[in-house]
Amino acid sequence: MSRKKWAVQLNRCDVTSVGFEEWGVSLLNVRVLRRSKSNTILLAGLSGSGKTVLFYQLRDGSPHLGTVTSMEPNDGTFVLHSELQKKGKLKPVHLIDVPGHSRLRPKLDELLPHSAGVIFVVDSLDFLPNCRAAAEYLYDILTKAIIVKRRTPMLILCNKADKVTAHSKEFIRKQLEKEIDKLRASRSAISTADIANDFTLGIPGEGFTFSQCRNKVTVAESSGLTGEVSQVEQFIRELVKP
Amino acid sequence: MLEQLLIFTRGGLILWELGNALKGSPIDALIRSCLLEERSADAAFHYDAPAGCAAYTLKWAFDNDLGLVFVAVYQRILHLLYVDDLLAAVRREFSRVYEPKRTSYDDFDETFRQLQKEAEARAEEIRKFKQAGRAPAAPGKKQVPGAASRGSGKQRSSGGGGSGKDESDGDPGKGRRSENGSSKGHENEIKPNSRAQNVVVHGKENGAPQVEAFDVSKLQKLRSKGAKKTDTGGGGCKAAKAEPKKIAKKNRVWDDSPSESRLDFTDPVDDRGEGPEIVVADQGESMMDKEEIVSSDSEGEEDEEVRNEKPDTKKKGWFSSMLQSISGNALLEKSDLRPALKALKDRLMTKNVAEEIAEKLCESVATSLEGKKLGSFTRVSSTVQTAMEEALLRILTPKRSIDILRDVHAAKEQGRPYIVVFVGVNGVGKSTNLAKVAYWLLQHKINVMLAACDTFRSGAVEQLRTHARRLQIPIFEKGYEKDPAIVAKEAIQEAKRNNSDVVLVDTAGRMQDNEPLMRALSKLINLNNPDLVLFVGEALVGNDAVDQLTKFNQKLADLSMVPNARLIDGILLTKFDTIDDKVVGAALSMVYVSGAPVMFVGCGQSYTDLKKLNIKSIVKTLLK
Repeated sequence: MSRKKWAVQLNRCDVTSVGFEEWGVSLLNVRVLRRSKSNTILLAGLSGSGKTVLFYQLRDGSPHLGTVTSMEPNDGTFVLHSELQKKGKLKPVHLIDVPGHSRLRPKLDELLPHSAGVIFVVDSLDFLPNCRAAAEYLYDILTKAIIVKRRTPMLILCNKADKVTAHSKEFIRKQLEKEIDKLRASRSAISTADIANDFTLGIPGEGFTFSQCRNKVTVAESSGLTGEVSQVEQFIRELVKP
Repeated sequence: MLEQLLIFTRGGLILWELGNALKGSPIDALIRSCLLEERSADAAFHYDAPAGCAAYTLKWAFDNDLGLVFVAVYQRILHLLYVDDLLAAVRREFSRVYEPKRTSYDDFDETFRQLQKEAEARAEEIRKFKQAGRAPAAPGKKQVPGAASRGSGKQRSSGGGGSGKDESDGDPGKGRRSENGSSKGHENEIKPNSRAQNVVVHGKENGAPQVEAFDVSKLQKLRSKGAKKTDTGGGGCKAAKAEPKKIAKKNRVWDDSPSESRLDFTDPVDDRGEGPEIVVADQGESMMDKEEIVSSDSEGEEDEEVRNEKPDTKKKGWFSSMLQSISGNALLEKSDLRPALKALKDRLMTKNVAEEIAEKLCESVATSLEGKKLGSFTRVSSTVQTAMEEALLRILTPKRSIDILRDVHAAKEQGRPYIVVFVGVNGVGKSTNLAKVAYWLLQHKINVMLAACDTFRSGAVEQLRTHARRLQIPIFEKGYEKDPAIVAKEAIQEAKRNNSDVVLVDTAGRMQDNEPLMRALSKLINLNNPDLVLFVGEALVGNDAVDQLTKFNQKLADLSMVPNARLIDGILLTKFDTIDDKVVGAALSMVYVSGAPVMFVGCGQSYTDLKKLNIKSIVKTLLK
């Protein structure tokens, strides 16, 4: 187990400004303490919801020429672009954008143990056709043992909010809660062979709401293309304190 | 000319692009249905924009070391020879300019235009050279020209790129095209041989894609087969190939009627009511709901250690390769990969994976590893092993949800029954597994109804009737010698009336080459529009799995009236208990060929023997 983590650390080192001591400390922490003060945040969500755009927006302040479906995770440790001007010591954030394509889902499982928080990106423009798929993915993440035990905070981000026909975050929240409620019923007895739903959500007998989750779940809006990412940055800063 | 050329990272960021805006989203389609499906060794990918406004061909190249992908998009009617050449040149040049953190490469425009001119000039030269040597044209000789050769023997003054000429060519081609039933493609009397090898499939995501982009090397392969000029085109050749394999089925009408009443013993039992057959209901929990004893991480680590400690069998250049692997600076070449890949391919084949699938997989892994830097302290074989493992995991992971219960609930809300059709060849276990699925659904409090649309095989209806009685569920049957499509339609109406949530439709087994039966099946599916078309395949099958699935998909696509044909949505793997745990390759072949996930695995003959596929353990067994 420990060797694997070593290898993962080694491969993941996209060297920007990770000091040796940070490295050494985090490695030690991994072996000695299970709960290290990690600064890793994951960007997850369905394919096409805007994760890669958000990643580059947070890192460079613009999505450059555009994006296509990701085949591999985007990994970077950096200080948020909007904070570059600020004075004072800023702790760099380790952000990982996990591809949303269903064939690449197992990658998320590898990265969850190291994360301090998860941002689940939802496409508010094209929401209803993908509502079920998004709810299933969200349900799978919320029921993972690691998330439940560590109470990893989660942000449900309604992306593409700049468009006129985008749904509001309240609407999306309610829809997701309804879908997850239905999923609870159909999934409670089954355990699929590859993704084990270790826990069930919510209180039996009551409708599901995000407030029933043991970890903190909040909802926010953003727009990756125009750069309206203040709520995201707030979430990140709360988790990764300098 | 080229519509667009894109350079993007594997993580999804576009680094550089040049060209017109494209209609639809061909790049995303390429990634989803080709590169992520481990078909990256194919020559080209075809994309039809929705609403039929454009048809593109896409070609790509990888730079595995830097993690970049280069894609060229052009109109399908054009046949640009220089694209491969251009992609290779662009890759070379761009790797020089590339820096990991840099995101804008505007200065590359100039370099690109230069490269494009050069590539076009080179292609022009080759064409002129070939044309000049074409005068003494003889079959089998090396004089058949490149892109400009539409009909052999037709002299063509080719000016400019091969692009403009295709219009005049399209027409003689079109006639033959409709014959084939295969869409797109430029016709060439010599081509039928190669086309006969390519499986023609409509759906972009199923089966092997058509290799239509003209490649000079392909032509040379063709020539070695001898220029057999058949005028009937690809279709005739394919039919000729199929014919010897399967003799046309004889007339199926048996004079059944007198014997049926004589042999039909079940009726008296029915009249008596339940009789000795008391409810089966509880044989216990179906294995679907039991926890799989998933191998824990510790086991995984053991395997890793064993692998790493395996003695290095390569004798040649052992010391230098060890040095290189320690220093970690070696660039992987195709020649380095070949022995490791060959070993892997053989191993896969001993596990009962179809030969062509193993071949394609190895090619795809090779494409994704070529040019990559070896990590330090790793050997070539272990890199290849990890890459192959990832690839297998990717293929077997379903790309859409296989949660049937959720789908059933969704259909229930919409007020209609959820329809599942079981198709497959003879004797794979459709009826048995249908009963198992019914049992499992019943355990989850869902109302199931059976529809006996196998009106051919003697005893099929009685078999289902017995199952229905044991499970205490309604069955809709109309006896024998009726049109299965109509029976299914009426069954669904009956289900709506008595509020059944799910209708399981049993069909007769049929060989994939049997044209009239496949047509009947297609009619059944199109008439009733089921929610799930489940292909039942047995785990014992070897190379035939590929053939079965491609032909089933192809016939379903060809014979449907609507443009978006219903294809196979899921696979049910049966007789898993009969194979030694080591030979599980059939699952991989089937999934690769059809793109459909394995939804159930049948592992025995009693009601509870139904389980889900454990992907990690299969991958582990395949690569052991």
